[in-house]
Amino acid sequence: MHRRDALQTLAALAGVPALAGRTVADVLAAAGPHRQAGRLAALNATQNATVVALAERIIPATDTPGATAAGVNQFIDLLLAEWFSADERRAFLDGIADVDARARAAFGKSFAAGTHAQQDGVVAVLDGEVTALREASRATAGHFFARFKALTLYGYYNSEVGMTQELRYQIIPGRYESCAPLGAR
Amino acid sequence: MPQTYDAIVVGSGIAGGWAAKELCERGLRTLVLEAGRPIEPGQDYVEHVPPWNMKFRGYGDRVAAERDQPVQRRCYACDEWASKFFVNDREHPYSTPDDTPFLWIRGRQVGGRSIMWARQVYRWSDLDFEANARDGHGVDWPLRYADLAPWYDHVEEFIGISGEALGLPQLPDGRFLPPMPLNCAEEVVRDAMAATFGGERVLTIGRCAVLTRAHRGRAACHYCGPCERGCITHSYFNSIGSTLPAARATGRLTLRPHSVVHSVLYDARRDRATGVRVIDGQTREDLEFHARLVFLCASALESTRILLNSRPSRFPTGLGNSSGELGRNLMDHVMGGGAQGTIAGMEDRVVVGRRPNGIYVPRFRNVRTAHPGFLRGYGFQGGGSRPGWGRGASMAGFGADLKQALRTPGPWQFRYYGFGECLPRPTNYVELDPERVDAWGIPVLRIHCAWSDNERALLRDMADTATEMLEAAGATGIEPFIQDNPPGLGIHEMGTARMGRDPATSVLNAHNQCWDAPNVFVTDGACMTSSACQNPSITYMALTARAAAYAVEQLQRGEL
Repeated sequence: MHRRDALQTLAALAGVPALAGRTVADVLAAAGPHRQAGRLAALNATQNATVVALAERIIPATDTPGATAAGVNQFIDLLLAEWFSADERRAFLDGIADVDARARAAFGKSFAAGTHAQQDGVVAVLDGEVTALREASRATAGHFFARFKALTLYGYYNSEVGMTQELRYQIIPGRYESCAPLGAR
Repeated sequence: MPQTYDAIVVGSGIAGGWAAKELCERGLRTLVLEAGRPIEPGQDYVEHVPPWNMKFRGYGDRVAAERDQPVQRRCYACDEWASKFFVNDREHPYSTPDDTPFLWIRGRQVGGRSIMWARQVYRWSDLDFEANARDGHGVDWPLRYADLAPWYDHVEEFIGISGEALGLPQLPDGRFLPPMPLNCAEEVVRDAMAATFGGERVLTIGRCAVLTRAHRGRAACHYCGPCERGCITHSYFNSIGSTLPAARATGRLTLRPHSVVHSVLYDARRDRATGVRVIDGQTREDLEFHARLVFLCASALESTRILLNSRPSRFPTGLGNSSGELGRNLMDHVMGGGAQGTIAGMEDRVVVGRRPNGIYVPRFRNVRTAHPGFLRGYGFQGGGSRPGWGRGASMAGFGADLKQALRTPGPWQFRYYGFGECLPRPTNYVELDPERVDAWGIPVLRIHCAWSDNERALLRDMADTATEMLEAAGATGIEPFIQDNPPGLGIHEMGTARMGRDPATSVLNAHNQCWDAPNVFVTDGACMTSSACQNPSITYMALTARAAAYAVEQLQRGEL
């Protein structure tokens, strides 16, 4: 559901006196800044290609769009540029380089240049390392892939395609059902 | 603008809005002074802005938060959307001793913290109002439940409270709109509780200031979820949508934002306050406004700070401090003992909509029988939910399988989270910091506050009883917890200008009237003589309405 639809839903709910005299455009004007997709601030082209490919293997396009369509690489780029500390940024970029090094060792190309099957082989090893740490009750936060996967999921499920198409998130449900059948929206 | 009014109200939040409404409706030309900026709901409320329209998709601006809001960001509601409703800590400093941190969470804007409050409303009972007299901590409240009950009615009828009547003496019922429903897991836990604890422990839906049907021109909740970002339909109570419009409708309200009150002006010849000194928040101009009546509703610590900064020659340590009690007996609810666990079954059931409310377990300790380990008690909030995609980061797997798995929510989880009473102690106190001033040149507070063994015992017992109750419900994977939250983070700071029966041991009388200056009333959290364990806002509202009625009556009789 798009924001405009959400607002029309709200206006259509019975008895919304607070909206009287205000147009949907007024309410839309209250929205935060809309991010323009565009230039990258922290990732170079090689790093970006790895990030795009890796995120897409974690959340691929299926019957709904995947991480690429959700601009997960832009989200990660923004965090690298404006959120991470210098040490965290360096460690994360090292992690990206390590993914490429593993790819070259496994199939002789950069990660992004591999087939899906070749890429999934590398991802399975990375994910297995994180799972092993977790099963040994050890901290996973220091592992690059744990952080990358968490950021991919966050960026995807908070994107417009992730929320509207994958989650079918309703901004304004208009009701509360306390015990509805699975799949109800 | 005119400089003389019948009444001045300092603050426009939960208490200030009520003072404005009641004073205006009783015929007084009232000036409300708000330190912060005006709020225009159409522009400022952001509850329907989706994450993808936020710069960081809701992840938060870490650099700005660490720079400008290192204290405020500790509050769950101070997120990428609502952080604008919390103060900039660099402009609003305070100090504490290094080894006893206090988190002072503040909102300076028209509406104050009523914009971001958690909306839980529970009446207090005589178990609370008699507590100090019974166990000797603090001084006796100068009133009882019967004095306040009609004012609870008055407030509830206006603001709209949804909830379930239980008939419990320790948590009096109110004038309720229909309750929100418990979800599937919460019903299971409630039924197990009733079967196991024989009515001594009860689980109910939270009583909250969120409308379940249209009420006084405000629409029922549409269950979008994040009330703390504002509500364009005014479906939860805040002063912007309810009390301030009622005050404005009388034609007697003047609201002046950007008005930082420095101190109360006092005329020793007449033994009365004459108004307040204000620093204009934008121009830094030094101004005075005058009135026959001053209501301090600036929040517990801000109202006390204003009094400490009011130093006429007769009251060199602060107006209201003849007893030496001004600034003392600071309290906050001790929170964060509890437990969580998994409730099996109901895997084919989900909720639709985001209910802005949880469960409540009223206090059961030291109600019928005395507990050997601690005084007073606590209540639980919390509830049942199924985790969504957020659990994916701690699951193995990736790709289409992971994406598919995250389309189905995880098992039902249930969490109990306790809020306990804090004893009043003179050693928890605030004073003026002799060295620091805020961005407007006004001396700031130095806050001395720490938990005692009694509060720590409550926290431990919360974890034990929450575990017992989850076991009774057949939960698995039960994880008890005892958080180490510094005082302040409960955002129920109370006391420092307590009510009492004796001017030698209290700051305010039974009508929130300052013993030292009878035309000064303090009706926010500062006035509280004890803290109970219930969320306090509705008690501030009831006390404010009651004090306003009394003040107008006294004014009309020529007593003020």
